[in-house]
Amino acid sequence: MLDLRVLEPCSLQSSLAACADSQVLGTAPPTFKLPAVADLDGFQKAAVQMVKPAKGTTTLAFVFKHGVIVAADSRASMGNYISSQTVKKILEINRYLLGTMAGGAADCQFWQRNLGTRCRLHELANKRRISVAGASKLLANTLYSYRGMGLSMGTMIAGWDESGPGLYYVDSEGGRVEGKRFSVGSGSTYAYGVLDTGFRFDMTVDEAVELARRAIYHATFRDGASGGVASVYYVGPQGFKKMSGDDVGELHYKYYPVPEATVEAEMEDVTTS
Amino acid sequence: MEIDEHIGCAMSGLTADARTLVEHGRVETQNHRFSYNEPMSVESTTQALCDLALRFGEGDEESMSRPFGVSLLIAGHDDNGPCLYHTDPSGTFWQCNAKAIGSGSEGADTALQEHYDLNMTLEEAETLALSTLKQVMEEKVTSSNVDIAKVAPTYHLYTPQEVEAVIQRL
Repeated sequence: MLDLRVLEPCSLQSSLAACADSQVLGTAPPTFKLPAVADLDGFQKAAVQMVKPAKGTTTLAFVFKHGVIVAADSRASMGNYISSQTVKKILEINRYLLGTMAGGAADCQFWQRNLGTRCRLHELANKRRISVAGASKLLANTLYSYRGMGLSMGTMIAGWDESGPGLYYVDSEGGRVEGKRFSVGSGSTYAYGVLDTGFRFDMTVDEAVELARRAIYHATFRDGASGGVASVYYVGPQGFKKMSGDDVGELHYKYYPVPEATVEAEMEDVTTS
Repeated sequence: MEIDEHIGCAMSGLTADARTLVEHGRVETQNHRFSYNEPMSVESTTQALCDLALRFGEGDEESMSRPFGVSLLIAGHDDNGPCLYHTDPSGTFWQCNAKAIGSGSEGADTALQEHYDLNMTLEEAETLALSTLKQVMEEKVTSSNVDIAKVAPTYHLYTPQEVEAVIQRL
């Protein structure tokens, strides 16, 4: 086990408040004290290993004619153990920006909340909403400054701004790419299959929501680390709206209902013998 | 200027100093939302601004060389309902129901004392605000030399058309 006595308790509140002003008025990214450990590399590797098991997930997002659809499952697994079936993997940064969670849950939640704060400050100072490109750049720059320190995030930032729908993939290596279709997580390959087959740019909102729901369902069916509830959100000019949250077990029987005839035949066999 | 969704402020004096205070207020309110997941109360926000305003003199390296040369009217809406605070360069703040600051403030304060009533409607309040301004302003009140903002319960700065509508009722 890690020897945690060596660590100095890091005062998050004071360091956050102290750099709040420079964070806003200047361009300095937030800084935390490094752990005071003898073997920093070993400690970091161990820290990453502790976070890693929570990565099993399927999240996807795509741009189409009427906006952006963002969808995700809700399972958290640690090896063979399912630790939760009700994780919220689509994070509401503000009314018109959504972020997805993949990788370290705490990292995603904290930094996307922090992103929400900085987007609001940008809005107050510039009297207009921040663009999706700007918001994703803010996050990517922050993550780049923590490169190599063990953060684990693979998140998609989706939203609607003055230039229309926007979708970016940002990860903890500091990378940021713009795109029209993304899927992230252990179930992403299955989701891509369904998504790429059924995608048409001029779908209606309902068709797009159904496509996303099916893609998540198929991923949860085949990938053991994905499951729970398939949530689908839509981001349009008015902001985001949660379109549906369906248990994938129920979706299975909805898409592939068990035919009545087979069940009756089995029961007849039982009564005669 | 807007400090947060539920707090706005008006300034009088060295308006450049006011921008620093407003910026500090914005950072404080957003940090409060981040840490506590709730809007910051108007009194706490006013207190945070006054704490900054007090940091002048020869104390330690953090103090400023001169006080902020600006008075503020902080208007907001929180759990205690709508409220108004008045701050001045000394770092003191008072809670008020009605206040005027600036060069014409004495005349305006008297007019407010005569006509203000806690239970008036929003329209009556708009009319009172503009008619009070009209009394102390030398130029004619038009939609381009007057600004109105309300916090009811969120901050809204009136468009020139909305200001014009109030002027019509004077």
